[in-house]
Amino acid sequence: MHIPDGILPASVCVGGYITTGAATWYSLRKINRSENPREGIPRASLLTAAFLVASWVHIPVPPTSVHLLLNGLLGALLGVYAFPAILIGLFFQAVMFQHGGLTTLGVNATIMGVPAMIAYLVFRARKIFGADKRMVTGVFGFLAGASGVALAAIAAFALLITTIPSNIDVAAERTAIITVTLAYIPLMLLEGVFTSLVVSFLLKVKPELLEGR
Amino acid sequence: MEMQLDRYAYLDKPLHRWEPRCKLAGIMVLIFAFSYVRDLRLLPVILALSGGMYLYSGLPGSFLLSRLRLPALFLVAVALILPFVSGPTVLMHLGPLTLKEEGCLELLRITVKFLAILTMAIMLFGSMPFLTAVKAMRGLGLPVILADMTMFAYRYLFEIGDDLKTMQTAMGLRGFRNNKLGGAGSLAALAGTILVRSFEQSDRVYKAMILRGYGQPASYQEDFHARPVDVAGMLLLILAAAAIVAAELLWR
Repeated sequence: MHIPDGILPASVCVGGYITTGAATWYSLRKINRSENPREGIPRASLLTAAFLVASWVHIPVPPTSVHLLLNGLLGALLGVYAFPAILIGLFFQAVMFQHGGLTTLGVNATIMGVPAMIAYLVFRARKIFGADKRMVTGVFGFLAGASGVALAAIAAFALLITTIPSNIDVAAERTAIITVTLAYIPLMLLEGVFTSLVVSFLLKVKPELLEGR
Repeated sequence: MEMQLDRYAYLDKPLHRWEPRCKLAGIMVLIFAFSYVRDLRLLPVILALSGGMYLYSGLPGSFLLSRLRLPALFLVAVALILPFVSGPTVLMHLGPLTLKEEGCLELLRITVKFLAILTMAIMLFGSMPFLTAVKAMRGLGLPVILADMTMFAYRYLFEIGDDLKTMQTAMGLRGFRNNKLGGAGSLAALAGTILVRSFEQSDRVYKAMILRGYGQPASYQEDFHARPVDVAGMLLLILAAAAIVAAELLWR
């Protein structure tokens, strides 16, 4: 899901930076309007690092294992800090582990960050049904986690298949997008279940982490 | 968990002495110019430019190779797909597969750009401490909140990573085996515990930072001083980037 350097045209990379700039500006404006903008920074930063570390946890899916994106969970927990957190997480991955890229940082941040912001809205909608109910929190956690990875997968594959090989015919492109997106359905479900389990755990152990989100 | 990226950041070489803001701006402009390249005739130019600059940096070749190992897997994946699906011109048949000319050329283009950009990026962040790079970005206009979050997250990333390893070892000693999907509940609790610990630690960190003057204007003073030679180096790279883009536009 992390598109590397050299694969996308420069115009798409610049477009990614423009959308990332707009989303970051919107998030920072929201943060700056809070009562004490600096107070949330250490919390969001440590959780950014914690999310990056948590994404290293491998989930066994015999005969192999997968690691999760957690962008839906991140959106659900960090709210307006989610987009900057994803931007920073991707920057770390590009610079420290050469996973992703510097020219594609904007594109990757948009692909992962915008679904995280949508997941935040999805998770917040649980308040209509009662935010302190375990079942409700679990269901909306599932929806947030699954929608985060689903939207990111669709965006990434649509972008990759429509921009890299200019000589593939339209029917083949469409088939490839549908096939790859369908292949991601089990991962979306897994991400949804995992997010649901984590938010249920947090509701029991540290409900403050879910407060106000 | 060790941080290997800035292992060679303290060498005394011209690239290491280059003022960080000028270095960051110049190299990033050049990287974007590389990403603009489509013409095959420019591929040797960008490869030579990135290779030459890496040699000039004084960073060891083994360092570059070690950092290229993981992303090279991506190239293998692209090489297995692209030459067989892209383009109408058949080069040869390999059993049930057909090798296409356009796919091969696209693979060449992606490989060279990928290697050139990655070499430049590794050289950029390998030739200065990571925190200096963040301060340089701040000096170039990165918003304070993003700069602060990056520095905080960097400060605690490896500490939290070590916590994860400790907890995984403790789970293993208590009989947990991470080989069945049924263990997802325990793994969710593990991820949740990391989040809870970080959340609790953040309160203590914030209070400690406030006591040390966090948020006061003095904490954002930078001590970068660009010499004429630093600015000249940056302008040289911007000129090279402009030449690459101009050549691309003229030859298109």
